[in-house]
Amino acid sequence: MTRGIAAMPFLSHGSYRIRYELDGPADAPAYVLVNGLTQYAELWAAYRDALIARGFRVATFDLLGQGESDKPALFISQDDQVTALHLLIQQLGGPVFLSGISFGGLIALRYAIAHGDRLAGLVPMSCFAELPPQLFLLGNALRTGLILGGTSYLQDLLLPMNVSDHWLAPVLDKLDSVKRQGWLVNDVYALQNLMESFLDFQPLTPQLASIGVPTMILNGEFDFLTPRALHETLRVRIPNSSLVIIPRAYHAFTLEKPALTADLLARFADDVLAGRWHGNKAVWIAPEEAGGDLVPFPAGYDHLRAVPVHGAVT
Amino acid sequence: MSAFFGPLESDGRVPARQQTRVASFLVSAHGALGRRFALALPVRLETAWQTELNAQFYNESEIISLLLRATSWTPDLALGYLAAAWETAWFPSPAEGIPDPSLALAVDLAALAHAVHAGIRPAALLPAEANPNDPFAMALRRVEFESGRLLQAQIMFLKGEGLVPFRDAVSAALERRHAEVRRLWREMLESVGISRDENDAKP
Repeated sequence: MTRGIAAMPFLSHGSYRIRYELDGPADAPAYVLVNGLTQYAELWAAYRDALIARGFRVATFDLLGQGESDKPALFISQDDQVTALHLLIQQLGGPVFLSGISFGGLIALRYAIAHGDRLAGLVPMSCFAELPPQLFLLGNALRTGLILGGTSYLQDLLLPMNVSDHWLAPVLDKLDSVKRQGWLVNDVYALQNLMESFLDFQPLTPQLASIGVPTMILNGEFDFLTPRALHETLRVRIPNSSLVIIPRAYHAFTLEKPALTADLLARFADDVLAGRWHGNKAVWIAPEEAGGDLVPFPAGYDHLRAVPVHGAVT
Repeated sequence: MSAFFGPLESDGRVPARQQTRVASFLVSAHGALGRRFALALPVRLETAWQTELNAQFYNESEIISLLLRATSWTPDLALGYLAAAWETAWFPSPAEGIPDPSLALAVDLAALAHAVHAGIRPAALLPAEANPNDPFAMALRRVEFESGRLLQAQIMFLKGEGLVPFRDAVSAALERRHAEVRRLWREMLESVGISRDENDAKP
């Protein structure tokens, strides 16, 4: 039984090493996938397979402080993560599509603001550009949970918050094994450093308009960690964007619905490359299953509400 | 080599040789911290932050007491020179770049404590099939859990406003102590057939 991975490649950022992996044909359009806070690169395995089968190259990596990448002892900024991402994207030729979930989505947004000219498309998922009071307080509470109860307790808080009963029910009697790999690869201090990189956070909202690339924003229907209003900020501010609502999905829908999400990613990139993508700040509802049709959110209704309320068009 | 303890005994317990070597390392490291906290602890507390010194001292003592009682000790001839190397590494080494000698020593102590509390995860060595009733396994889980809490005092001190002008010196002291502790921990584990991932091989 071993935890190590043989001959894994690393990028260098100062004295730190960033573990990454490239798969798929070198001359293909690339998808770069950025982990959420407690995740690690192997969690994208299903996306790797699905996207390669659709003709993409796939780049995954562990952020600084995560998994097999180096874990700075104390001081780490979100700018360091953007630099690490930039090093990875510099390894790629051809069109690059960038997607990230939650914390990784925020890093992807930062990257698109700083280096948007390097991207062909952007897919922020379960994402946010600002910390309104609910998210700020939730983040603080999660950090306190980590400090008082360790990684395992943080996982206990996040799991029921971020995935559905449908996903949880079959694994309820083996949660320890579900949590074990995440517990093994994540260190308390490194997670805490990542969370504390928000202590001097400034909203990205004023800079979102500078994101010129086609952008598909994905938001779970039942995501209450980063609810619709946070994605609405992205939709309204990013010029060539659409918001796609994933039915019956929570914050961690990339774990729960990999086939559907990978299909949406591939279709978005195909549309952009074929010149068919027109964001129009539209609001769509994703299909229940991969391959189904996206349907426009019903005209005249408010997509920010959970009940069918007529809303103003924005 | 495996990344975990083992092969386990038939009852799922960690072999005594591995218990002895790992517990000795932990007793040495936490013992050094306990001694240094004891030296820094005044008989009568004069400021609020010194209450944390008191807590750190007694928590380190509790960790050592726990390991002494929970470990299945077995004779280990190599421990003599290993312990000498470990104890030498824990010697005070004032952080460079901080002119106030007492502050430089405090930063070094906090950096060493951060490296021990953050960088050493003994419970992560337990394979999934380890006997949950093994006191040694439970002790390691407790050491790792308590270390995560003890760590908070080091984080608050090292990130504190008083050290902002010396951030580079603090970073250097931290990275040096982390690298040193990581190397000693890795070498000790390899000596009992446990090899962590290659990321830990960073000097």
